[in-house]
Amino acid sequence: MEPTAGDTARADFIARLTAIPGSAQVEERGDGLWISAPHLDVEAMAREMKTLGCRLATMTGLARDDGETTIIYHYARGHDVINFKTATSGNAVRSIAPLVRPASWIEREIHDFFSVDFIGHPNLIPLIRPAELKQGFFRDPDPGSTTPEKP
Amino acid sequence: MPYTIPVGPYHPALEEPYKVNVRCVAETVQQVTVDVGFSFRGIELLAQRREWVPDVTLIERVCGICSNVHAMTFCRAAEQIAGIEVPGRAVYIRTIISELERLHSHLLWAGLAAEFMGFQTLFMEVYTVREQVMDLLETISGNRVNYGMNRIGGVNRDITDPKSAIETVQAMAKVIEKDIVTAFMNNVTAKGRMGGVGRLTKEQAIEWGVVGPVARASGLDIDVRDDRPYLAYRDLGFKIVTQPEGDVRARVVVRALELLESIRVITEALRNLPSGPLRAFEGMPAIPPGEAVVFTEAPRGEVVYYVASDGGRTPARVKIRTPSFVNIPALEAMTMGQQLGNISLIQASVDPCISCTDR
Repeated sequence: MEPTAGDTARADFIARLTAIPGSAQVEERGDGLWISAPHLDVEAMAREMKTLGCRLATMTGLARDDGETTIIYHYARGHDVINFKTATSGNAVRSIAPLVRPASWIEREIHDFFSVDFIGHPNLIPLIRPAELKQGFFRDPDPGSTTPEKP
Repeated sequence: MPYTIPVGPYHPALEEPYKVNVRCVAETVQQVTVDVGFSFRGIELLAQRREWVPDVTLIERVCGICSNVHAMTFCRAAEQIAGIEVPGRAVYIRTIISELERLHSHLLWAGLAAEFMGFQTLFMEVYTVREQVMDLLETISGNRVNYGMNRIGGVNRDITDPKSAIETVQAMAKVIEKDIVTAFMNNVTAKGRMGGVGRLTKEQAIEWGVVGPVARASGLDIDVRDDRPYLAYRDLGFKIVTQPEGDVRARVVVRALELLESIRVITEALRNLPSGPLRAFEGMPAIPPGEAVVFTEAPRGEVVYYVASDGGRTPARVKIRTPSFVNIPALEAMTMGQQLGNISLIQASVDPCISCTDR
């Protein structure tokens, strides 16, 4: 069967995702497209996703045993959900907030929870972390017992 | 000379704590910054330390208004990881409760909007109908706010008398269409007070990444029910509501028209309620290792859940992105150049939920 215009457009879209520096093979799952790319150039990704008309829905942080943090960038475009999974290096990653406004609060929250340093964020101050909890308290096995920071 | 007014965290217009720092010259707003986090509860962290079943109850407490949508979205994520197929009747019941929840949320907001405009008679009219929605939810679920309808694999309670529910909804529909929608769309006071206030252009809506009625009131046709249909929306059809103006009035009109679409969806779902079981299995669910990202359209807009399982008794990660989390920052754009006296109305037009934002 001949590929339809929709098939071609989708193949082009996936090719653009794969061509982002540091990107990887696209896996199609029931809940969207997934790209696991540990060395993803997140700024290049943010620029390309903007060009492709994709909206940053949110980002997820996941603590890793080696002290690093997995970061998932969840994008939406029409029927598609696109998820880029990458990792910090030295628990740091480039900020995409200067390129994508909604990333600002999301990165501040991940900074609160996992102590990730978003390099280049214009205002990486606490967003919702209470003052009595330490930065990165999601990594703490019992954050309620931590000693409050002195003012 | 410029001056700054801190509005909140004890807020003059809203019950929840957040702070808006308003910088003005004379009566004109020049800059706004928003502080949140005054009611942080750590629900994501708690959810990672409780078992899957009690988590449904915990996550229902993310929000006091759209409680059902949170419990349901969490269940959908767990079901997706475990490959659980929810029975058709449960899917329809979830759809009905979701749309009743949207009705009560939009009516709550419409009542507050009427009050902020000083339109007390409309406020009373709206809240009378809202009570009827709450009564119907109580009849179905036993509860007015946290309905406890969802479980992993289906729903806890049946809708035993759909005919009676249809009659109740149709009675409400008459008042909503004739009085409430008409008042918000045509009343001179409402139009004059809200028209041209707190504008967010389509370009700004894209830039700030807003969702839900706020986005649709700026001309963006995004709605998860339409973009990626879930529950019974594919069967029942769904008409997206947009307005191009991007002002407070457009946000009101979008929500008013969405009331009518919700009534249509509820009525259709009740008329076509499939027979069959309420849940895919009895007993405790077993969630294997895996991950899922699930999008749902809450009354205030798109909700995103990322849930990961390592096969253990508790989720390995529960990430919750609520619509207010992305809509509230856009206040900065909506309030720029506006009159100081309009700040409360503009804030209210976003329908901000701080309980959701802080979690």
